[in-house]
Amino acid sequence: MKHQYIDGTLYFYFYGDLDNLTVCNLKDICIDLIEKYRPKMVRLDFEEVTFIDSTGIGFVLARYKQLMKSGGELVICNLSKANMTLFHMSGIFQIMKYERNGVKL
Amino acid sequence: MNKMRLMFTSKLENEAFARTSVVAFLMPINPSVDEIMEIKTMVAEAVVNCMIHGYDGKEEGDIQLDVQYDENRMITIQIQDYGCGIENIDLAMQPLYTTKEHLERSGMGLTIMSTFADDFQITSTLERGTTVLIKKQLHVESEEEK
Repeated sequence: MKHQYIDGTLYFYFYGDLDNLTVCNLKDICIDLIEKYRPKMVRLDFEEVTFIDSTGIGFVLARYKQLMKSGGELVICNLSKANMTLFHMSGIFQIMKYERNGVKL
Repeated sequence: MNKMRLMFTSKLENEAFARTSVVAFLMPINPSVDEIMEIKTMVAEAVVNCMIHGYDGKEEGDIQLDVQYDENRMITIQIQDYGCGIENIDLAMQPLYTTKEHLERSGMGLTIMSTFADDFQITSTLERGTTVLIKKQLHVESEEEK
């Protein structure tokens, strides 16, 4: 995972298999970075993600709740077709924005 | 008919081993890219459930994985743990229901499995364990694919 902070927006770029073990290892780092920067917006980019399951959805929902407390916004970016199917099942887009493309590292 | 069985410990790193092993075993019958994704996801969901719920994160439980396919390209996957069992399966099946929200679980695991499977069954006995049975019919191969 890479991240960058530009003008109030914190970008996270995930890659490879975002499975349970990977999410367990990344979770605390993401929580701390959001605490540190207190961003107005967080953008989660899944363009390079080859695998995701319900653990990933749980992670996104938890970051959404974390940001709600400080009034920040969360945007999901660049899901593959298969990953999109999974996210749709959870009804996550009823509460969160989705965008394609955007700033790349 | 062809079959295989794996028995592995409920260590978190074994989830990737389980899902990639299932896909490797099924390679001779040429699942499509979409089918591979769905099978990997279902196996991941089931195995993570054994680890997180069945054994409550303890990394010393046994998980048994059985996979078979027949000449009609019907795949059967059975994933079994010997953990705590599920108190109320109907409740557990509800989308977004989870007993482990503090661990950032989404409550979508069983929904995802039952959506991707052609047949999905779950049996559980308290203090004895849980078995998930997934059936998935693969697409009919065209002449070019054979």
